[in-house]
Amino acid sequence: MLARIITGLAAGAAYALVAVGVVLIYKCTRALSIAQGEIGAFGFFIGLRWAARGIPTLGWHPARFVTLLIAVIVGALLGGLIERVVMRPLVGRPPLDALVATLGVALFLALLEKELFGTATQFAPSPVGEWKLVVAGATLTAPRVLALALAAAVALATYVFFSRTRFGLAVRATTGDPTVARLMGIPVNRVYRFAWVAAGALAGLAAALLGPAFGGLTPFAMTKFSLRALAGAVIGGLDSIWGAIVGSLLVGVLEAVVGGQFRTAGASELAVLVLVIATLVARPQGIFGAEGAS
Amino acid sequence: MIAVVLAVGGSLLLGNVKLSILVGVAVTAIAALGLDVLVARTGELSLAHAAFLGVGAFTAINVGSRGWAWPLVILTAMAVTAAAATIVGLPSLRIRGLQVAIATLAFQEFAEVYLFSRSDATAAGRTLPRPGFLQTDVHLYLFALAALAVVLVARRRLAVTKAGRAFLAVRDIEIRAGCFGVEPGPTKLLAYAISGAIVGLAGALLALKSGSISAKDPFLLLESLELVAIVVVGGAGSAAGIVTAAVLVKGLPQFSSTIPFTHLSADRIVPIASAGLLVLVIVAAPRGIGGVYQTVGRLLDRWLSPRGRERPDARPRAADARAAAQHAAALRSVPRRLSLRMPVPALLEARDVSVEFGGVAALDDVSLEVRRGEIVGLIGANGAGKSTFFNAVSGLVRFDGSIRYRGVELRGLPPSERSALGVARTFQDLGLVRAETVGENVLLAQTWLARYDAATGILGLGSALSTERELRRRAGLALELFGLDHLRDERLGDLPYGTMRIVEIAAAVAAGPDLLMLDEATAGLGPEESHALGDRFLAVRDELGLTLVVVEHHVPLIARVCDYAYCLESGALIAEGNPETVTAQPQVVESFLGRAHASTGGNAR
Amino acid sequence: MTIASAETLLEVRGLCSGYGSLQVLFDVDLDVRVGELVALMGSNGAGKTTTLRAITGLLNRTHGRVRFAGEDITTGRTESLVSRGIALVPEGRGMLRDLTVAENLEMGGYVVRDRDAIAQATERAYATFPILAERHDIKAGRLSGGQQQMLAVARALMSSPRLLLVDEASLGLSPIMTETVFDLIAEVRRSAGVSVLIVEQNAAALDLADRVFVLEKGQIVDRAEGDAVRTMQGRLREAYLGRASS
Repeated sequence: MLARIITGLAAGAAYALVAVGVVLIYKCTRALSIAQGEIGAFGFFIGLRWAARGIPTLGWHPARFVTLLIAVIVGALLGGLIERVVMRPLVGRPPLDALVATLGVALFLALLEKELFGTATQFAPSPVGEWKLVVAGATLTAPRVLALALAAAVALATYVFFSRTRFGLAVRATTGDPTVARLMGIPVNRVYRFAWVAAGALAGLAAALLGPAFGGLTPFAMTKFSLRALAGAVIGGLDSIWGAIVGSLLVGVLEAVVGGQFRTAGASELAVLVLVIATLVARPQGIFGAEGAS
Repeated sequence: MIAVVLAVGGSLLLGNVKLSILVGVAVTAIAALGLDVLVARTGELSLAHAAFLGVGAFTAINVGSRGWAWPLVILTAMAVTAAAATIVGLPSLRIRGLQVAIATLAFQEFAEVYLFSRSDATAAGRTLPRPGFLQTDVHLYLFALAALAVVLVARRRLAVTKAGRAFLAVRDIEIRAGCFGVEPGPTKLLAYAISGAIVGLAGALLALKSGSISAKDPFLLLESLELVAIVVVGGAGSAAGIVTAAVLVKGLPQFSSTIPFTHLSADRIVPIASAGLLVLVIVAAPRGIGGVYQTVGRLLDRWLSPRGRERPDARPRAADARAAAQHAAALRSVPRRLSLRMPVPALLEARDVSVEFGGVAALDDVSLEVRRGEIVGLIGANGAGKSTFFNAVSGLVRFDGSIRYRGVELRGLPPSERSALGVARTFQDLGLVRAETVGENVLLAQTWLARYDAATGILGLGSALSTERELRRRAGLALELFGLDHLRDERLGDLPYGTMRIVEIAAAVAAGPDLLMLDEATAGLGPEESHALGDRFLAVRDELGLTLVVVEHHVPLIARVCDYAYCLESGALIAEGNPETVTAQPQVVESFLGRAHASTGGNAR
Repeated sequence: MTIASAETLLEVRGLCSGYGSLQVLFDVDLDVRVGELVALMGSNGAGKTTTLRAITGLLNRTHGRVRFAGEDITTGRTESLVSRGIALVPEGRGMLRDLTVAENLEMGGYVVRDRDAIAQATERAYATFPILAERHDIKAGRLSGGQQQMLAVARALMSSPRLLLVDEASLGLSPIMTETVFDLIAEVRRSAGVSVLIVEQNAAALDLADRVFVLEKGQIVDRAEGDAVRTMQGRLREAYLGRASS
């Protein structure tokens, strides 16, 4: 049991990286992005492709660890691009418009991945080595250990960012009222861009760690992961970074425990769904969400 | 309708196209129209409509393979899907918008991983035989077109009847819609049920077309997203646009293996292109193809009648308030469940009313009464509890104590029943649907008078039609009464704020109340407009026999129109009496009026 | 009073604006001179808030020029207004409800890079509005309406602006609170030496004003200066109270 919980925590930590991005975007722009999984996956696919075939014109085959960096950078760039081209014109429109737009982006990226990289599973070696750690009977591969560590680091970093830095405060001001923020000279467009770029980078990081953890990556596979992250974010509260992390860990643990207990197909999915619906009905703003924030 | 003609015409032109493909397009179009009922009317997004399509199709095969007659097969599929959609809609009683979308996403995944992998649910291995008259594809195709036409007509009927308006009200003003007699919960579920029934019809058609379905491909999340894409690209609320989008997205890859005039493979490009188009449309043309149709229509209009329409003056017309009120006297004739003989002299009697928000008393043992035919002023500083008192009377907050209206205890009654008893109100920040026209809003306010059910409305049966006629007549009278008849077809949100507020009063009066509660009616109005509004208050009281409670900051108005006034401070009553006495009391001056009034208002008298 | 100095701080010429196809403002001309308190009066739908939105760039200007301190700011971005020296007290007070009073003030000085200057400005704000000092770590959303209005004014002053724009400060406030807020604006204008453009439909605002513009249906229909403001006050007040209380 303890072993399963620990494995679950590690999976949840990787979801949390995506979920923090989702919450960051939601906090700053009131848009719910379901494209984060695909954004990350796209970055990692490119990393893998370059590792296998060499970077175009340079011909240099990046090392495994570099594929992770590529995923992060491409994810960040893609996030910035989407913010500028798709999301910024939607500022001030109903939140469902933004959701539909990210849905379109997710669909577009997934289909594009299918076109570019094919439907076959891409074997994804771990970018951070093949070592393992055994804790209380649970065997954790390197990407999972790293995911856990990074989730903790991200939690700490966001806390410091929002409570101790001026730009963090400006982000919170923009969350509160973008028009007022603008009138006070806060560059709200930069705040929006920051949210998407940061979330894109986190998504790339998560994809690079999750892909290998699950043995490989196919287009649309990340959709599943991003749905898990979304579940975590909703359970924890869409406007709470802490909530996103705790919610994602909860989802990871629930999956591992239920999946281990009942071998029937779909049991763990069902458990997550029940948790999501129960949270939505009992406490729509999520465990850590502010009352009335949604 | 245009799109139907296009679809039929197109099918005749493309003689070599397999008709079964067109049936598939019609199925998608119907499913998308069903989704649109939710998206356009209630503003909620379902990501589970492909799963609902599956529920409909598998239900049809399940019962059809047992030898049920085809009309029964279709109706059962519709009913079961409607029930499934209603259940999925249940969380929407608690949550809204994004969270609802996530909850539907949860059902989609549940259907994929659980429901559709059960062989009993999917009727694996069994076949639905086609009825005799649908043996050929031509017949099936015509049948599908007929179903599409039925759906289009039903949608049209929905838009002009009670249920359609109620959907919009729940979308935009939520629980406040209760003050018009709209019950938010049942209304939402009704929208899910109607949406589900339409998708169920699409599912049954799909089942009739295929006989048996083994793959769950048409019912996966990807298809749900595609339905959303079709609705958005077509333009939410626009039937013609949505049908066009369905033809483009579903039909194009089937009609031709390459994109016309290129060598690109349609199979591969169309999905990506439609995803791209979805993003493009939502960013650059939120009204989608339907918006394009509208623009073209308007251009044609302008071309045919070059003079064009002038924008009417957005302010209420000045009029003799008393004469207008006499003219509108017919608004009084509304059915009441209560006997008109009142056992007590007070129309409204509040005893020891207290309301608490998180430990803070918003109202603290307030007792007051309003007698028939009075105009009662309720004054006090911001946060004194005036609006909270209105909310207690209209049922939007819970209270301790007792509020009796015509001797009936209001405590525990839902808002919609209070409107039927004759209580109407306005809100400080507007309780109307800005996206709708002035006329539609006044119809909405009379929801409690529309005593026909949604089905009667959609079928256009006699009682619904005559009721709607009567409501329109009443709306006309109420608009005239407030000098707003020239603005009937204007979108409410396009009018100045002060005018919107007067529209809200007109709507409340149209509902035929005995007691009208107005929350800061003159906020946003200039001095002259405020004065004219005061005239209308008096006229409405004298000629229509209404009793008014007004929350006001505009002291001269209170002095002029009110028979009696109460002053609240921090949730407690601090003064009452005729307006002159109340506004002269030191405590009132101190807490509310200030020295400006003492020097100028005092001199004026 | 610094009316003697006729240097124009804000100059609006031929301003036209609106929402979509609906034109609201027609050739609006107005100006604020250094040290002045100017009132822009008008009734419901006259275009007062639209004028401020157009000046601050929150709304597209279809036509016309806006100059501030001799510089053309017609095409300037809203975000750059504060660093030029224009601060707005928005309609409805524009509280950042989830931020504390202190954090609201800090954001008011976002463009000020100098830490000491911010500390000084904060001290000044607390000295002027002691109640804000007392409640500095309370979330702004939990303040009363009047306190929020004070915070809105204090926050706008954090960037030491040369021009303060005040949008309907009296809206939704009781008469006594309105009076307090108006007194406060007059006081701030004296002590901080800031020019003020106040947009109101409450005739009490005339008490404060050096000059008045009256807006009706998107056009300036009347203006007054000096003693003429007092007679206008009588005129408007009569329209406002006289008939109504008869």
